[in-house]
Amino acid sequence: MLGVVIGVASVIAMLALGNGARAAVDATFAGLGADQIQVGQRFTMQDGEFAPFGENLTYEEGLEMLDAIPLVKRVEMSASKTLKARFGRASIEITARGVTADALEGIIESGDIQPVGWAGDAAITAEDLIADGRFFTTDEILAGAPVCVLGYQTAFDLFSGDDPIGETIWIERTRCTVIGVAVELEYTDVTRRYQSNPNEALLMPISTMIQELYDEEPSVYTTAHVTDAGRIDEAKDQIAAYLREKHQIEQDADGNYLDDFDMTTRNDILGQQQEAARTFSLLLAAMASVSLIVGGIGIMNVMLVSVTERTREIGVRQAVGAKQRDIVYQFLLEAVFISASGGLAGIVVGILTIPLAAALNQGTALLLPGSIPLAFGVALVTGVLFGLYPALRAARLDPIEALRYE
Amino acid sequence: MSKYNAPAAVPVARNKPAMNEPVIRTEKLTRAYSMGENAITALREADLTVHAGEFVALMGASGSGKSTLLNLLGLLDHATSGEYFLEGKPVSSLRRDELADLRGRRIGFIFQNFNLLARLSAWENVALPLAYRQGEFKHQDQLDRAREALARVRLEHRVEHNPMELSGGERQRVAIARALVTQPAVILADEPTGNLDSNTGVEIMRLLKELNAEGRTIIMVTHDASVARNASRLYHMRDGMLKEDE
Repeated sequence: MLGVVIGVASVIAMLALGNGARAAVDATFAGLGADQIQVGQRFTMQDGEFAPFGENLTYEEGLEMLDAIPLVKRVEMSASKTLKARFGRASIEITARGVTADALEGIIESGDIQPVGWAGDAAITAEDLIADGRFFTTDEILAGAPVCVLGYQTAFDLFSGDDPIGETIWIERTRCTVIGVAVELEYTDVTRRYQSNPNEALLMPISTMIQELYDEEPSVYTTAHVTDAGRIDEAKDQIAAYLREKHQIEQDADGNYLDDFDMTTRNDILGQQQEAARTFSLLLAAMASVSLIVGGIGIMNVMLVSVTERTREIGVRQAVGAKQRDIVYQFLLEAVFISASGGLAGIVVGILTIPLAAALNQGTALLLPGSIPLAFGVALVTGVLFGLYPALRAARLDPIEALRYE
Repeated sequence: MSKYNAPAAVPVARNKPAMNEPVIRTEKLTRAYSMGENAITALREADLTVHAGEFVALMGASGSGKSTLLNLLGLLDHATSGEYFLEGKPVSSLRRDELADLRGRRIGFIFQNFNLLARLSAWENVALPLAYRQGEFKHQDQLDRAREALARVRLEHRVEHNPMELSGGERQRVAIARALVTQPAVILADEPTGNLDSNTGVEIMRLLKELNAEGRTIIMVTHDASVARNASRLYHMRDGMLKEDE
């Protein structure tokens, strides 16, 4: 019985993790559109440290990518660096982000962030994110203009409630004019709200940031949008070919390129998530099988004892006309009743263990209503399978022997 | 609705065999067991004929073969050789489930130790043979018939009682009601008074005689001569041989 409880609970948890992984992938889709390829410099373990490998992926390469590859219609790039910002006496340390012109659209598409208290389904526009002033123009981005947009919290920290628009702040030793302030934002995912604050932000044109605030050309994080999501793999190959030529990537003995960049698409994430979920589900499936077999053997044992104890009863039933089928049904029903009770308990236990299983898997678990009848069905099948032998044994008893049994 | 309206006291009339056809007829019925290398013949070429309405007693010491004969007559066992005609039909070729079906319809058993199911109420015990005829009897039908049978053994006030709540005599009467409920061709009683005190035993024998007087065919196994006297015909068994008393 306990085996059936554990087995059914495992089945519930297994299904919930599978569904959860799928839901997590769906959620990731919101962050990474079907038409997007993320490109970044590869990081590898070097002397025990995780460090960038090979040549940097530069801002210029990102721009050239747009021109060189017809399938790429748009390239977003960003670079981040923690810096000191100062206005008057106020000074803060902040992670400044250099961005391209459509950064706001990228943020909106990711679905990660919304204005505080944003009502449900309404679509967010770039204008909704700016409280005062404006965002960068394309010219400002390309020219490397000394302008910046502040997050809601950052504006408050530096200006204590005064209007920052048009004021000049110092970022390290660079002057920068504030042209916009963002509205107060929050993460759509509640759990992330405790990890970081999207209102502590300072945005600059990426070119400005690279020219003024880096000593040498940094690696940028690039998101390429393709013209046709159906040809995303083709675009991926073209980007790879372009970067391999630029960086003069060599092949190893087996013909594999020793790339110094990594590319990620929605399909790649899907594969990784499914891989992780599959591994854990497999573990649970093994646990479920073992538990169900143990539970089934337990049921078989209980039923064999029951058949023995009730030998006389079986004889009486046979004497008054019970056919073999009738006896089989009777004992199968009892076995299924036991396994069904275990199954119900297992469903409750399973539902209670879902959060634990999700934590162990570092993922999300999602219980679909359909999983419960399925798990219950597994319990019933266990009852039938392991109840069959005792039931057949009961039905095959010789009525004379059975009636004589003391 | 129940098509069954006849009072329990009406003589057995259903499935009446052809004229003069005995309810039970055996021809050289033999049952041998192999115990290791030895063959034991528990029943040797028994010829027995029982007509409708008869009350036959089989007497003999333990091991004389009377239980073997009763098991064969009750379709619980297959003969090694010879033939058994129940209501004119040979049974030796019937399969296990066919025997079970015939047993449930045409044979009523009364055991020495009552053999009631402790978890079922009196009426549920009585209705058990009806319950195994798939779909023939609805729940209410079963209850009605069980009530009638219990009324016939004067236990109408014990319908919902469990066997544990009944006296020995009452338990045996429930068992008799169970044997009556299907209107069987023959009632087979195996030492029906063996587990009862003598007063209760007399009471049960009076009931069996009443039932016989109403037309029931009864075959009873006993080793008690005073009990056997109630029967209209008496057979003796010894070493597997069946012999009728004159």
